[in-house]
Amino acid sequence: MKHYQLGEFEEVVMLTVGVLYNEAYGVSIKKEIESRLSRSVSVGALQTALIRLEDKGYLKSREGEATEERAGRPKKYFEITALGARVLDHVRSTREELWNSIPKVALKLIMTN
Amino acid sequence: MTTPAPPKLPLRFFRWYCHPKLRDSIEGDLMELYAERRVKSAKWKADLQFAWDVILLFRKGIIKPTEGYQNLNNYGMLKSYFKIGWRNILKTKGYSLINIGGLALGMAAVMLIILYVKDELAYDSFHQKAPEIYRVVTDWKRPDGSVQHQDGITGYYQGPKFKESIPEIVTAVRWMGNNRTLRINNEVSDISVYNADENFFTLFTFPFVAGNPAEALKDPNSLVITEAKALLYFNSTDVLGKTLDLKADSTFVPYKITGVVKTLPANSSIKFDFVSRLTISPQDYANSENWFNFFLTTFVELHPAASRSTVEAKMAKVYESDAAAAIKEMEEKYNVTEKAVFSLQPLKDIHLSKTYTASSGLFDASDPMYGYMLSGIAFFILLIACINFVNLSIANSLRRSKEIGVRKVVGGNKFTLAIQFLSESFVICFFAFVAAVFLVQLSLPLFNTLAQKSISILSLFDGRMLLAYAGLFVATGLFAGFYPSLVLSGFNPVKTLYGRFRFSGKQYTLRALVVLQFALASFLIMATLTIYSQFNFLTTKDLGYDDKNLVVVNKSNLTRDQFSIFQQMLAGHSGIIGIAPKNGGEWNTVAKVSGEKMIKFQYNIVDESYLPLLKIPVVRGRNFSSDFTADGPSSVLVNEAFVKQAGWDDPIGQKVNFWYRNAEYTVVGVVKNHNYNALNYEIQPQLFTKKPDENFGCALIKLSGQDTQASLALIEKTFKSAFPDYAYTYEFVSENNRRHYEQEARWNKIVMSAAAITIFISCIGLLGLAALAAERRNKEIGVRKVLGASAFSITKGLSVGFLQMVILSFVIAVPAAAMVSSQWLKGYAYRVEFSVWTVVITVMVTTSIALITVCSQGIRAALANPVKSLRSE
Repeated sequence: MKHYQLGEFEEVVMLTVGVLYNEAYGVSIKKEIESRLSRSVSVGALQTALIRLEDKGYLKSREGEATEERAGRPKKYFEITALGARVLDHVRSTREELWNSIPKVALKLIMTN
Repeated sequence: MTTPAPPKLPLRFFRWYCHPKLRDSIEGDLMELYAERRVKSAKWKADLQFAWDVILLFRKGIIKPTEGYQNLNNYGMLKSYFKIGWRNILKTKGYSLINIGGLALGMAAVMLIILYVKDELAYDSFHQKAPEIYRVVTDWKRPDGSVQHQDGITGYYQGPKFKESIPEIVTAVRWMGNNRTLRINNEVSDISVYNADENFFTLFTFPFVAGNPAEALKDPNSLVITEAKALLYFNSTDVLGKTLDLKADSTFVPYKITGVVKTLPANSSIKFDFVSRLTISPQDYANSENWFNFFLTTFVELHPAASRSTVEAKMAKVYESDAAAAIKEMEEKYNVTEKAVFSLQPLKDIHLSKTYTASSGLFDASDPMYGYMLSGIAFFILLIACINFVNLSIANSLRRSKEIGVRKVVGGNKFTLAIQFLSESFVICFFAFVAAVFLVQLSLPLFNTLAQKSISILSLFDGRMLLAYAGLFVATGLFAGFYPSLVLSGFNPVKTLYGRFRFSGKQYTLRALVVLQFALASFLIMATLTIYSQFNFLTTKDLGYDDKNLVVVNKSNLTRDQFSIFQQMLAGHSGIIGIAPKNGGEWNTVAKVSGEKMIKFQYNIVDESYLPLLKIPVVRGRNFSSDFTADGPSSVLVNEAFVKQAGWDDPIGQKVNFWYRNAEYTVVGVVKNHNYNALNYEIQPQLFTKKPDENFGCALIKLSGQDTQASLALIEKTFKSAFPDYAYTYEFVSENNRRHYEQEARWNKIVMSAAAITIFISCIGLLGLAALAAERRNKEIGVRKVLGASAFSITKGLSVGFLQMVILSFVIAVPAAAMVSSQWLKGYAYRVEFSVWTVVITVMVTTSIALITVCSQGIRAALANPVKSLRSE
């Protein structure tokens, strides 16, 4: 199986893009992550992640409308590509596999500790 | 709701570093966040957060790459620049031709100078040991420390004595030239044989065709000859062991050929056809005056690690201790108080040295001045060609103003437009460069004769030269294209597209450049005229004696008896008017007059026939006379310069004291001053004696001028029968005198060609400008004609402006030329003055050429049918 590279933050960003579906652009992604995961995200970190994901072909972008509060600058909307979806699926299934392989006892012990 | 403006500085910073593709969307995010934060929190807080975000965005992936982010697009654009440039060249063929032709001439001139300078600087560097070889040079210092005289001549002692006691000196080689008589098949001829120490060919790199360099000069009677001479005498270079007969005293001695040297490189200061071993008899070597006899060249090889100044200090010590007795003796005997200070001159510096020139067996001494002058001239020519380019591009830009406007409207900025015009100038420069290479090839033979060089075409293509030419190409492209690209890219698009674009202002730069061009051209014309008139003056000036039809025949040790036999043999022939003897070469000596006063003068041994034959008048007293029984060995004649320097009121009967030979002579007559030397020098004191115990060295023969060939043949026949062992050579004194001024003749040609080229380039530039001006004023001329203006007044209107510039150029050129010319003329004791006529002729020539150029365009415009120009639009 091919090796997909996806960092933790990248995974979060991709999932958020998926969550927001047609409304995923810089500020909305940032806000969504901040509210759902209660962690602060800098514009720099987010943009770098988005560019990297786009370069890898997991995300694609399109220019959107310009609103007044953006002083006429266009929004850049992101959506998940087919490859991106497959990567997410792959990540999820490997996680699940791992989860399923953990003996129930071990998990219980850890939980109670 | 209005958008709150985020802090400017971080925003500007962000816009500067951000990749343009990302800039807008990220900036939008930042703005949106900022607007939101402004609603929620205080302005300073929002500002700070904005700045913080900008700083956090400053990371890889977002910063634009330094190498440019549009590589592919740029390439396409550049391609289009060159395409448009090419189309423009084709569209304006005439101007392109002027530009390319002018620049090619200028570049070719600079290339030739680069070749010249390279050749000059590379002199003598072909020797493998060149960096370690030095020549021992001498400064003669007076007791007060001032320098009396400096030259590169030394004697027998310096080489061996310095080598003996200074360990840093690896080898010392002495080198001197000698005139010898060579006999081959009973034919005698005079040749120059150089005498060198045994290790000459191991120190200097002169490759051998045959023989062993290390052994070649081992035997005293060995001879090394050049390839050319071997072929001449033996028709083969395989001549080792064969002999050549050289005269020693009165007999011929066979010399064995031990080496054949490949043809010498042209850029060698050491030149020879024959080299034999330097042999000095022990008696000669023991002479204590050897420290004061200077007549040869000494080279030393220093150890690579040795310091020159240390060796020089050691040389001074050796001299002081070894020559102490000789110094004392010289002072007592000859009253010589000057002392020699020896130093070392690197071999490679000899060629261009002005202080210690290449003399005494060395050749091709050159003045770095020539290099500077040639470089200056070449630079002038290139400058003028570049000015043409600048002027024509700017004048021609009106035609392209619409193109520039459109380019600006679709987003071309000043910089990209400047790049476009620069690349066009490079296209033109490239063609000029190619043409220049061909021009150099064509003109190299002519240049070689003018500059007295033998530069081969091949040296054009050596690696460093190519680099230099690439540099020249880039420099010219930038130099010519920079200003036009700046001006053209600055056009206002609205104005150009609206069709009302005119050059604002009075185009001072354009005019100033034309003025400069013509100033340079007329400067060179004036220089040519000055050199020409000085040359003319030098070659036609009355020298004070008659050198017409005067032949000099050399014969060393010509005794009085031999001379009278020779005289009698020639007597009675109608073609020969007279004959007089003289010493060979030029002798200089010193004597005391009026007690202790020392005078330096030229010492001439003649007889009573000399002065009448050369028509030199005796102004006071009398000439030598065969009738005067009193005319003993003690009677002498002196020239006026001698009398003046001696300070005599009544020269007749005064005594000249040759104290060192215990002789005192009496002046019996004063000879009128005459220029026996080149006119660069003042007439120095001369003394004439007919002392019977000294031999003559040549005979001067005056021909009638009719049937000169027969007379010369007769002299040759007579000479050969009288002196069968001596080589016969003759020379016309007038030709010899003319040869003093070869330099001037050469420079006259060089500057004249330069002047012709500059005036030509300036004029084609002017032609282009005038044509463009006429075209620009097309409609105006049409209207004027319709209203009844004459062709003359229209031509005048078009030409006056240009002529003003040409005339203004004289204001600059005349003082500059006057200054430089009089400086140059100061080098001559006898000279013309920088004359008004030079200026008048230059003004007339330049103005009329410019007038013809400009008027030709003016008339064409004036004669055109006004209907044509007015019909359009």
